[in-house]
Amino acid sequence: MTNLLPRWSARLGVGLGLVGLITLFGLLGPLLVGDPNAIRDIGLTPPGGGHLLGTTQTGQDVFAQLAYATRGSLEIGVLVGVMATLLSAVFGVIGAYVGGFTDEAFSLLSNVMLVIPGLPLVIVIAGFVPPESRGTWTIALVLALTGWAASARVLRAQTLSLRNRDYVAAAKVAGERPWRIVAVEIAPNLLPLLASQFVFAVILAILNEAGLAFLGLGTSNSSTLGTMLYYAQNGFALQRDAWWWLVPPGLLIALLGCGLALINFSIDEIIDPKLRNRARRRDTVAAPAPTVDDRDPDRVLTVRDLEVVYRVERPVHAVKGVSLTLRRGEILGLAGESGCGKTTLAYAINRLHRPPAEVTAGSVVFHDRDGTDIDVLALGPGELRAFRWDKLSMVFQGAMNSLNPVTTVRAQLDDVLTTHRPGMSAAERRERCQEVLRLVGVDPARLGSYAHELSGGMRQRVMIAAALLLEPQVMIMDEPTTALDVVVQRGILRELLRFRDELGFAVVFITHDLPLLLELADRIAVMKDGEIVEYDTAERVHRDPRHPYTRTLLASFPSLTGDRRDYAREGAR
Amino acid sequence: MTYFVRKGLFYLVALWAAVTLNFFIPRLMPGTPVDSLMAKLAQRGGQVNPETRRAFELLLGADTDEPLLAQYWSYLGNTLRGEFGVSVSSYPTPVAEVISASLPWTVVLVGIATLLSFLLGVTLGMVVGWRRGTWLDSLIPATTVLAAVPYFWLALILSAVFAGTLGWFPLNGGYDVVLDPGWSLEFIGSAVYHGILPALTIVISSVGGWLLGMRNMMVSTGSEDYVLTAQAKGLRGSRVMLRYAARNAVLPSVAGFAISLGFVVSGSIITEQVFSYPGIGSKLLQAVQNNDYALMQGIFLIITVAVLGANLVVDLLYGLIDPRTRS
Repeated sequence: MTNLLPRWSARLGVGLGLVGLITLFGLLGPLLVGDPNAIRDIGLTPPGGGHLLGTTQTGQDVFAQLAYATRGSLEIGVLVGVMATLLSAVFGVIGAYVGGFTDEAFSLLSNVMLVIPGLPLVIVIAGFVPPESRGTWTIALVLALTGWAASARVLRAQTLSLRNRDYVAAAKVAGERPWRIVAVEIAPNLLPLLASQFVFAVILAILNEAGLAFLGLGTSNSSTLGTMLYYAQNGFALQRDAWWWLVPPGLLIALLGCGLALINFSIDEIIDPKLRNRARRRDTVAAPAPTVDDRDPDRVLTVRDLEVVYRVERPVHAVKGVSLTLRRGEILGLAGESGCGKTTLAYAINRLHRPPAEVTAGSVVFHDRDGTDIDVLALGPGELRAFRWDKLSMVFQGAMNSLNPVTTVRAQLDDVLTTHRPGMSAAERRERCQEVLRLVGVDPARLGSYAHELSGGMRQRVMIAAALLLEPQVMIMDEPTTALDVVVQRGILRELLRFRDELGFAVVFITHDLPLLLELADRIAVMKDGEIVEYDTAERVHRDPRHPYTRTLLASFPSLTGDRRDYAREGAR
Repeated sequence: MTYFVRKGLFYLVALWAAVTLNFFIPRLMPGTPVDSLMAKLAQRGGQVNPETRRAFELLLGADTDEPLLAQYWSYLGNTLRGEFGVSVSSYPTPVAEVISASLPWTVVLVGIATLLSFLLGVTLGMVVGWRRGTWLDSLIPATTVLAAVPYFWLALILSAVFAGTLGWFPLNGGYDVVLDPGWSLEFIGSAVYHGILPALTIVISSVGGWLLGMRNMMVSTGSEDYVLTAQAKGLRGSRVMLRYAARNAVLPSVAGFAISLGFVVSGSIITEQVFSYPGIGSKLLQAVQNNDYALMQGIFLIITVAVLGANLVVDLLYGLIDPRTRS
């Protein structure tokens, strides 16, 4: 389970400080100041002397009024916050948990409440309530009744996603009672969200109450910051330049709202860790490309002593001194278990790693067909863009999600060509897009399709087609077929071998599936904890693995010899 | 059921709910609003003909023997025909006329201000979210302060500074009163001039919400595979940001337009009051202060219809920009 306490940050500190101070002022202030309603015949006086914040036109002390008004506003805010959160929890959480008709009805109700504008409704209701019965509770109730719907929708979405998680399913199977599942399994995971919705409801209630009071529809039995503003406005504070009467209540509302919002930021970061501030991107330290000693004329990519470090609190050394050489037309298999650093390595080769990952040492040199060497780590931003996809393309691990869901396949193939081949005409581009689709066995009519209209296998083929568009010399494929079923996987791999033979590009094929590589790859590198522990031809890795880890990997799959070979491919998953 | 039909049905249900709410609220409240309305009307020398009384009774409820269902039915009929009775505070103008005179002011002001605020907020949020970890992050706390400032208070301060002290803009009103309302260039110019400050208030206080929502979504979409793929393709940074990240990140902002529009409309009602703007918000308040229940009801209904209509348009637009809704 995620950590339920917000991480300390300057924001949270300022937020808690503001809210704490204002709450203290609202709690203790009224005990220390005099009677806020005492009328003195000094009229409107500016701050100073006996009156810290001056007086109103009837000579009432503004500071004393401010203390009582703060208390009033806080009261309303908390009351509404509690009521609205309860309502939204009932409609959101219970509806989503029970499901079926109840959920449909609750969800329709909250959606309808959401689109009916709240304040006009509140104004109308408040307008019908005679002023004498417009107490704190009445106003709070009206605000809560009109303000719970947005939270209910958020809570419902979260509950739905929690309900389908494994541990909830496990609890159901174990025969736990529904209320226990809600209380023990779901509620703790909803807590941060509930807290954030509560804080949000408080802000909203204070603002809305202030608005109502400003219109003269506020509580009749207690004073709030909004009623203060109402009297200030009707006493022509603005026209008489009595800023001390008008500015403090509004500023207090703004500061309180701001403090609460800052607290909410920190809570949101628990709910969605992605929102946390991340380190700035540091420029990659481009070490001068070392002279490559092996003079293999066939090589296309040389990685030497590459180091990648994740600069987090305790830095993680994800890639440690990796050296690899890729020859033209070769399939290099990169094997290893999850988290061994193989994906990090692949990204670093193309400089796609993101902060906090950082290349700290080593070199990546691309040996172009025309004989020039390109030091990839030293490329400027424009040069890097021109290098990517043109020389080296990639097919990603999450290839299922590699297509932009809201634009067509055509648009996503086409923009590669418009970027890298600006000279091509629209007709030539269309011709080329159709050509690569045909190559991977996808009907060119699919150019007009969106990702959601394609099957998983087809999406992956489209991504391979995209990777072929510019006839790159190297293609990095990161678990390209892991999510596909065996038949589709087979088909795609067979075609990959064919393209390699026809088009002559080299492939870095990354997978956790060593037996697959034994069949597919020319050479194999086995990675463990960021290091390459075995690096040899597929033949020799199979026959005579030197590192014990390789032997473990090989042994963890059924025997690959004889008749059972097929079993290894099809039965092991 | 296709997306569009489903949305259309939903807004029909929402409209029905609003109309029904409007029917029941006065009936659930204490007091006899019809009597007080009739008394006021008589005070102003209005003729209390049975037809007017009937319209009020249908709207507000009265101690008649007529079954509730029959009252409801006739009320629906009156609502459909736009018959909300006579406004007491602007006697003898019918409610429908008061509304149609003030509605365009609000629609134009709030419409333009909301659109500006949305475009500005989404654009800023896109850039701030994309360039995370740079100085732009410091914009976020500033928007929180803006979002926490009450609309009307900001309006007061702005009018004190820009209209009062500096005298750049008129203090209040929707146009120069010496001009005759019409489609003359002079009048339109005056209306625009009067609208700048109220619009500015709405934009300043609502832009933060759009900005923050968009920024958070940009952060989320930034780590999507298709954005990584776009970068690996060697596309220009601006293209990756616009066509891949922002194009997806903006969807929830558009889908959440409904919620935000409610806030903006609520805020602008109060803002109109500060600037004595001749819009529907001022009229609603005038109605509340004068216990002009019929006008109050009529305005609530019209605001709701307008907000629902705007939401429907946005939802239909959403259907066009997200291809997944069409399947």
